[in-house]
Amino acid sequence: MEVEIRLEPGRKEPRAVIYAGADTPELQELAQRLSGVFLGPVPAFRGERAVLLEPGEVYRFYTDGKGVSAQTEAGVYAVRLRLYELEERLVRRGFLRVSHSELVNSRKITALDLSLTGTIRMTLGDGAAVCYVSRRYVKRIKQALLGEEGAL
Amino acid sequence: MNERRTGVLLAALGGLAGLLLGAVLWGPLLGEGGAGQPLVLALGQGGAGVVLLALCAALGATVGTAALPFAGEGPALVVRSLAHFALTALEVLLLLRLCFQVKRPDYLAGWLGILALLYLLVWLGRYVGWYWEVADLRRRLGLSPGPSPLKWRETLPYLPLLALICVAAPLLARWVDGTFVVDVPVFSGLLFPFAVLPAAGFCSGFSLGRRAGFCPLYPLAGGLLYVPVALIAYNHTALFHSLLFALPALAGNAAGGAWRRVKRK
Repeated sequence: MEVEIRLEPGRKEPRAVIYAGADTPELQELAQRLSGVFLGPVPAFRGERAVLLEPGEVYRFYTDGKGVSAQTEAGVYAVRLRLYELEERLVRRGFLRVSHSELVNSRKITALDLSLTGTIRMTLGDGAAVCYVSRRYVKRIKQALLGEEGAL
Repeated sequence: MNERRTGVLLAALGGLAGLLLGAVLWGPLLGEGGAGQPLVLALGQGGAGVVLLALCAALGATVGTAALPFAGEGPALVVRSLAHFALTALEVLLLLRLCFQVKRPDYLAGWLGILALLYLLVWLGRYVGWYWEVADLRRRLGLSPGPSPLKWRETLPYLPLLALICVAAPLLARWVDGTFVVDVPVFSGLLFPFAVLPAAGFCSGFSLGRRAGFCPLYPLAGGLLYVPVALIAYNHTALFHSLLFALPALAGNAAGGAWRRVKRK
């Protein structure tokens, strides 16, 4: 497949156009995967102040009953996207769903600890953030990591 | 299929298997010369049969759902497993006492011990599974391998200390009392088991916990190591000494592990 990149100063989000002779399921899958890639920063809020968070600097996105929050080294921000939307967009950027309420940046994981009762404790960064992995999600995490290994 | 429906289905299948077992046991237990004759005399053949079948069905249903408590994690797993164990123990005790006419408390305690051992083995099997799952995740994430299963490797450096406390010290205490003390063996009979052993267990457990976190094999290994020594240096009446080491060591190890967690925070 020919790939061409054209730079357009001032454009905020990339736009991809696929030229093809016929519509095929593979083409549809490619289009779907491309549209799912989230390259830009995530809009977030701290009080009244709006900021753009680079996904790479986020430890985790989580829900706490009130809404979705993003935890970074600088603090916690409110995010107006749903967790499943963030998961769809960030799963190819190394983010893993570790429980029904948490999405973590796999590049920030520094330790995994298992307790005698089967609880898996995950440490992010230098211990700035700690979360718990649901065992129901372990298989999904392995598959996601296998996909990452394959991609590398 | 959701968890509740799976549970109901497993309980129903287990209950059915229990009923079949009850039907098989009916003749040998409740027939003439069977162990359940006192129950037949008290309730009649029909009443005794209903008790036998109900207990067998209940036990079957409980055994059928034995894997479900381990589907959870954390405190939920502990609470559900303990509740399941309590229910199973009650059913087994009732079956033994009413239908098999087992009356001796030591026999009943023995059966309960076997049941507890079974639960421990099931938990150990599950833990090993969880351990390898987490080890696999660590490998895929490029993290360090983490501690050994149940921290047996971290416990190894404390084995010489364990040998000193649980093997050399009691033998030495007996030798001192036998050689230098004429009448009452105060050191080996009183001071060592009731003061030195618990204090040494707690302190050594605390030291290990502070360095490596909670290591459940340490108190277990100490308790087991003490059993043959108790039989050699004392006699079977001193077997409880192993608990005088194991329980303080467990408490000390848990306290040391908690200390380590607090210090890390």
